Amino acid sequence: MVFLTLSCWIRNRGPDRYWKVQELLKHARHFRGRKNRCYSLAVRTVRKAFVYATKARKLKKRNMRTLWITRIAAASREHGMKYPALMHNLTKSSVQLNRRVISDLAVTEPRSFLSLAKLAQARKQEGFRVALGDGKEPPGVFSRVVLLQ
Amino acid sequence: MTSRATPSRFLRSVLQNGVGRYVCQLKRISIVFSKNAQSSLGLRDFIEEGVVDYAKKNPGTVVYVSPQSCRIPKIVAEYLNGNVREEIVTNKTSPQISELLTKLTTQSGLDIIRIRKPFHTDNPSIQGQWHPFTNRPPSIGPIRVQKQDTQ
Repeated sequence: MVFLTLSCWIRNRGPDRYWKVQELLKHARHFRGRKNRCYSLAVRTVRKAFVYATKARKLKKRNMRTLWITRIAAASREHGMKYPALMHNLTKSSVQLNRRVISDLAVTEPRSFLSLAKLAQARKQEGFRVALGDGKEPPGVFSRVVLLQ
Repeated sequence: MTSRATPSRFLRSVLQNGVGRYVCQLKRISIVFSKNAQSSLGLRDFIEEGVVDYAKKNPGTVVYVSPQSCRIPKIVAEYLNGNVREEIVTNKTSPQISELLTKLTTQSGLDIIRIRKPFHTDNPSIQGQWHPFTNRPPSIGPIRVQKQDTQ
């Protein structure tokens, strides 16, 4: 008698399970607890991590901008101005520096930032003179916006 | 692909290469191809025409040409910092391969992973980094609570 049906019941599973598991676990190696070792726990946490990473790309831009604004506000208050006044007067004087550059200047080049604050202060005073004065005085130096073509 | 899970590095040049003399970071190029297969046709054309000119133009790089019976033709580039890069050049034409070689020559051997910032300075601050006493020298005196006279 020859038994043939027993060998028909053996299944050949896939040969690559180890590497597929490792591909997922490599994204979980810096987690805490069993989720950095056990596949079923890691699957859920890694998927959540990817979702957070996708959402954070927009949040990072927002957070960096608020950080720059906080730093510029603090630096301008050291020189006696407030953030909205500084930015509005800089744009009126056609100084087209974005918040990232101005915050870097405030950190690494404090004297350049002081000169920017003084420029904004002068432009502010000229604006007040134009608004509150008679109109007989000539417009100030910084109010002359040069349009380069 | 989280930024913590994948490796990343800062932008840098190898030992300030280029500030003084420029040293080509490519140490060795090994071209592995087969003499008869159709996939290494472009590579064989490149070896007939362009390899000698390339080797003369880059005297600091050693070029090894090894015909073997292999299915996929490869170019293996080794750099001075030890990194090895293999490029598979099946079914590529000769000008494409020379473009690839110029790309490998101009690369430094640093890892091709995410670069955290697209800029790098050794001296970020020229006027002096801000510290709490930059705009508030001690000669002014300490900050006191403002006493309101109306009270």
